[in-house]
This record gives sequence, structure tokens and C-alpha cells, in this order.
Amino acid sequence: MKVQTDSYMFEMIRTELTDAVGDASVDVRFADRFGHSIDYYWIPEMWHDRGKECPKADFIVHPGSTEEVAKVMKIANQYRIPVVPWGGGSGSQGGALPIYGGIVLDMKRMNKCYGVDKESYTVRCQTGIIAQHLEWNCNKEGFSTMHLPASISCATIGGFLAHRGTGVLSTKYGKIEDMVMSLEVVTPSGEIIRTLPVPRHASGPDLTMLFLGSEGTLGVITEVTLKVHPEPEAREFRAYIFKDFHTAMQAGATLMRSRLQPCAMRLYDETETKTHVSKVFGIDLDRGAYLVFGFDGPKDIVALQMKHARKIMEGEFGGKDLGAKGGEWWWENKYKFFYPGYMFHVPQAFGTLDTVADFAHIEKVYWAMKNVVNKEFPDARFIGHFSHWYEWGCMLYARFIFPGDKVPPNEREAAALYNAVWDKAIRAAIANGGVINEHHGVGLKLGRYVKDLYGSAMPVLEGIKRQLDPNGIMNPGKLGFAGC
Amino acid sequence: MHIDKFEDAIMNCRFCFMCRHLSAIGNVRFTEVDTPRVRAAMIYGLRTGTNSFDDEDFVDALYRQDLSACCRRNCVNHYDENGLALAARADVVEAGKAPEAVKKLAARFVKSVGWKADGAGDVAWFLDETTAADKAVVSATKKLFAAAKVSPKIITGGSIGKALKVLGFLPEAKAAAEQFAAFLKAEGVKTLFVSNPAAVNALKQDYPAFGVKLPCDVKCTAALVVQYKVKFAKAAGEVYPLADDFKKNYENCGCMEKALAALKATCRPFGTNDGETYCCGEGAVVLDRLHPELVKALAEYVAARADDPKRDRIVVASAYVKNALVKYGKLKAVTIEELAAGCL
Repeated sequence: MKVQTDSYMFEMIRTELTDAVGDASVDVRFADRFGHSIDYYWIPEMWHDRGKECPKADFIVHPGSTEEVAKVMKIANQYRIPVVPWGGGSGSQGGALPIYGGIVLDMKRMNKCYGVDKESYTVRCQTGIIAQHLEWNCNKEGFSTMHLPASISCATIGGFLAHRGTGVLSTKYGKIEDMVMSLEVVTPSGEIIRTLPVPRHASGPDLTMLFLGSEGTLGVITEVTLKVHPEPEAREFRAYIFKDFHTAMQAGATLMRSRLQPCAMRLYDETETKTHVSKVFGIDLDRGAYLVFGFDGPKDIVALQMKHARKIMEGEFGGKDLGAKGGEWWWENKYKFFYPGYMFHVPQAFGTLDTVADFAHIEKVYWAMKNVVNKEFPDARFIGHFSHWYEWGCMLYARFIFPGDKVPPNEREAAALYNAVWDKAIRAAIANGGVINEHHGVGLKLGRYVKDLYGSAMPVLEGIKRQLDPNGIMNPGKLGFAGC
Repeated sequence: MHIDKFEDAIMNCRFCFMCRHLSAIGNVRFTEVDTPRVRAAMIYGLRTGTNSFDDEDFVDALYRQDLSACCRRNCVNHYDENGLALAARADVVEAGKAPEAVKKLAARFVKSVGWKADGAGDVAWFLDETTAADKAVVSATKKLFAAAKVSPKIITGGSIGKALKVLGFLPEAKAAAEQFAAFLKAEGVKTLFVSNPAAVNALKQDYPAFGVKLPCDVKCTAALVVQYKVKFAKAAGEVYPLADDFKKNYENCGCMEKALAALKATCRPFGTNDGETYCCGEGAVVLDRLHPELVKALAEYVAARADDPKRDRIVVASAYVKNALVKYGKLKAVTIEELAAGCL
């Protein structure tokens, strides 16, 4: 922000903000600003770990309504103050970091759920609601959003909308963008707009899709209507061990091509099966690749689908059946992977090279990334699993991990090493038909690759940004857009 | 420093979000600073110099915590961010940085020590300040004692150390514990009934940690319902029990559940889940005195989750929670003792 915090102008702006949202909902204290200076991105975590200050917002603003968001946007536009929407702050890409100061618009005060529409099977809510709270609300009425990501406990619905998040049941129920009926959005200039009420129409380009994944760069999503689903009568899992990840990939792809409808599927490569899956489950899986899938719905349909899926797994691909129990291990521990002790942690350096590709390219992408990491960074370990499967391909959740003692003690050198891994691995993925990325978003971390990814379409994206946000106040420096 | 005993929590909670949804204060203030993640990160910052107890906002955040410990219960590793916050408070006090309101409150508890016992025998009932202030709970508990044919002497007269410990005044808390243990010994108490779960927790967990030995067994007054063959004339009917912070997240003696079963209560699940605390800062013991506005916000949050706020009968384990829910949440809350007495 260009206004000095010790100037009277700062107080003038604060007065306007408090007038807009109330005195208790504008914070300028160090502790609150500190809390919004670190998200789940490794770079600020490492920076903090090394005792360095992370960039902070000047104002933490908690709007209580769409109208209040609109007022804040008008103030921000008038004074050209950067605005960074913040949900749960659990993003791994640095998308919600206030790198240029200004206003962090913490949306959690906008946490109302307006109840389930039991005729249309939809739920309307404000976007600051924590996903688990929304899920609990729906569960109480016998429904589920079926949006069950590992970050359900912390991320807000708005956060998922902003970066096109996904959950463990995405293979059947879709990613968040598949769940949306319509949105209410406050534009950077403070106008309140609503997208069309249903997601399937032939009434021109889809504005709902324009804002989904815009990561707070095109406006603030304030309200959403989502599809919900009745809790299924049955949900069953089964797991197999395959001799190698290639065979398991073929089995998984065949299952998807069969047009059976698994609600979830995960395939872990040999290294991740041995080191990570074994640890989380507390069992010994010392060789092969672990693949788990499940079906849900009416009991007899689940049983029939499972029967066909077992034929695929056990037939030409020779999967070793770990039974229903082997599948339940995964379902019961699906979030455990992300707790400290099971998740990687500073002082290690680690990152998720989230990539998506079709079946014709996904193994090439895996090997390209693995080879480049192994060759260029011999101190790093490379592991990967394949989650979020589609009829045409799947997502690769590849990760690199440097042990703490192999990370340079100097924070600038550590950041340089970290960025170098991304540069090599992501470019290898793109060159082999991969798309960065599937559900974590771009944020600060991957912004520099967006031009490569979009190619000649980038000016279209930049034109949209300019039209909606001529002053460039919305989350500057993210998603490959200009800073300020 | 005291915080150094909680290395796991400092190093792991600082970058972890897995209990964010359970941050009671964070959920009513909508803040990041009121979460285990940011508190732990700030405490880590004490080591690197990015944070210090000179920052009053940081210290305030430490004293705003609900201390329900539901984060620890939720965590697969059970990292004790609650314990870390209590340790940080002790460090704040030792550094002479405790807020004035905290110092005043602690001084009042130190002065309050001066117990007296009314009655005779080796069975006693410790009537803590919070419970004593609720005449309906006192009256119901007396009826239960009578029905159980137990005539305890009643001990009143100040803090037994829990509030001081929670505020970070450890030497003073330990001194109060030693004095209370000595008082019980002098009184010849062999069985001590206690109504307030915070006091039960102090006697069963804090005292051993201080190295203070009690001369008596400690029982919850709710145990009167099941352990003394009390005959109840009628069933309790439909109720919404709320598990209290201490029993749920520290040590569950199970007396509330057993009492509800003995009273043939038809129990309905309250709210939307059993992960969150609905106890309005009970774990923080004196949050209602330090931050009544937060207790009000917490109670309103709970009330918003009742099926039918005007009708539902909510059963709680402590007068603290009852008062918060009735006063601020406008809910029909009773303690387990009141529910039981109503069934006699």
C-alpha cells in the first residue's frame, strides 16, 4: 500500500473502513496482521521458521454482508489499495498472501447457511463458511455436499470456489466447479452481480465459470448455491496391491473407461505406498503400488458395480486383493495423511507438483517430473499418487521432499532451491502434456508459468482482468497477473 | 521457559490447520489470531524475535482462548496446544507482562483462600464459587444428597487453585492446592464431592502435577444419581446433553452419561456435531470474568445451533455453562443435578 501507516491518511482510510463494516471488524494490530501473513505455502512457512518477517496487510477487514464487501471495494478502488480475499488461509500456493500490503478481506464473518432446498437438492450459503461447518449443517438435514477435501476443517467454501478445489469423492461428485449452481459476486468496482441461477444453459458464455478459479483477482465471491446429495444407502471400498504403478495405472484407467462410477479412486506409486501409506495405516506394504476405489449409492447398485470393478482389477491386471478392509483403511485415514507427523513439515522442503493430464499423457508426465527431480536434485525424494480420476485421465499428486539438513540454511538460497525444483518439474510436466494444476490453484507460487500455459490465450485473460479491475487492486501479483 | 515443555505443539501446530473449525473463539471473532495455528506460530516467534510478550495483542490473544482442548481431542497426534497456551500464560506472568485485568483477578483469588466447613463427618461437598452463586443448583444438589442419605459437611471459601493455574500464576496455584489439601486433612475428609468439573479436574489432575496429595477420594455430585441407589419417581424425558470441556477433552469419568441413563433420559444430539465445544469457555474457567462479551458471543453461537431454542431442555455438567447458556443464549439449560432433583 502506498499510504504510510504512520500518516494521517492511513487513519482517514481506517475511518472509512470502520464506517463500512464496523469498528470491531477492522483490525490493524500486529497479532492479527501476523496471523494473515502465513498460509500453507512453504515459502512463508520457511521464512517464518528462519525468523524473518513476512509481508503483512495494513488492514484486516471482516465484512458481514455482501453490501459491506461492496463498500470496502469502493473505498479500495478510490484509494487504489490492494485487496486480498482470505478464507481459511490454508491455500498451498500463496494465493491469499498480502504481498503488497493493503486490505486482507477475511470472509469468515460471512458464514451463514440458508438451509437445504429439499426440492432441488441445493444449499445456499455465504462463502465465508468453513467447509466442515457447511457439511455439518447439511448432514443434520440428511444431506452432504460430497465435497470432502483434506482441508475441510479449515478452508472456507469461498476458498474452494476461488481456486477450483476438489474433495476425495470428486470422481463421482465432481470438483467444486461441478457442484455450483450460481454465484453472487462483488466486482472490483463494488457492483453486486449474480450469475444465472442454473449451471446448464445456452444463454451465452458462463459467467459462473469465469469467476470460479479466479483466485480473488476478478472480484469477491460472496454467496453460492451448491448442489447437495442425500447420504447414500451404502458406500464401500476395496483396495489392491499391483506389482508396479504402471500396471495399477492401467487397471485404474480401465475402470474409468468401463464407465462404472467410482466415487473415489487413489493410486499410490511404489515409493509412496512403502513410505507413506504404510505409515498412515500402520501396516506393512513394502512392495508394489496401492490402489483403492469405492462406490456409493443404493446397496444393490454398489454391489453390482463392485463386482464388475473386481473383475477388472483381478483379471488381466492381477491385482492382489486387500479386501474391503484394505479399502476402509484409506477411507478412515483419508485426512490423517495431512496431520503433522504424517504430512511433510518445515525444516523439510516439500511441494505438491499438482498436475492433470489425460490417460495418454499422465504416465509420461509422471516420469518426466520424477526423472528431472531425481536427476537435477539428488537430495530430493520424489513420490506421487494419482487422485481425482475422470473418464479421460487423472490428477497426479506428485511431491518432492528435501530432508531438513539438505535445505540451505540461508533463506534466500532455500527459496532459490525450492523455486528451481518447481521450474524444472513444472516445465517438464507442461512439455509432456500436463496442465498445472488440478485443484490447488496458481496463486503466487505458479504465477510465472501461467503465460507458458495459456500461450496466445493469455491476452484474453489479461483483457478480462483489465476490464473488471482497471485499477489492478484485486489480489495483485497472483494468477500470473501484474503486481502493483 | 514453560513453553519449552510443549515443543511438539510449538513446532507442529504452527503450520497446521486441521482443527481450525473447532476454534471456538476464532469461530465467533472470525480471526486467525484466535486459532492454535497462529498462537503456536507466535509462540515460536518468541524464539526468533519476530514476536514478543511486549505485544499486548499477542498476550490478549493468549488470554482470550477458550481452552476447551477440543483441538487436542481432534488431533491424530493429540498435540497439546491447550497446554502450550497455559504454559505461555505462565511465562507471561513470570515476565511481568500479564494484563492488568488478569493480575487483579488473580490477586482476588489469592485473597479469597480461607475455607470453612459447615457440618460434621468425613464426607464433604466442596461448593465452589461458581456453583454457590446458582441457588437452584445448590438446592437441587442438596435434595440429591438427602435422597442419597448422605449428609456432607459443606466446604466454602474461595479458590482451590484452578483459576490461578489457568491465569498462569503457578506458584500461587500450587500454594492454594497445598493449603486446600492441608485443610481437607485437618477436617478429616475421606470423600469429597465436587460439583464443578473445573474443580474436579484441578483435584484429579493439577494437584498430582503439583505433587500435592489429597487425603480423600474425589467424586462428582452427579455420581449421587447412580452410586447411592437413589429412587427416582419419574423419567427425565427428552433432553439435549452437552458434554463439558473437562470431561470430554481431559478425563471423562462417565458420571454424566451414567446419570442420564439412570434417569431414563431420552437423549438427543445437540447441534450439528460432537467435535466442537458448546461450553462457552468453560475450559478457561474465568473467561466470563475476563471477557463476558466473548462468553455472550459463544452462547449465542450455541443457541443458534439448538433445534428449538425455546423448547429444548439442555443438560450440562456445570453451573458455568448453564449460566452462560441461560443468560446469553436464552436457552433452557439445567445442570445434571437439577435434572435429577426434578425426577425425585
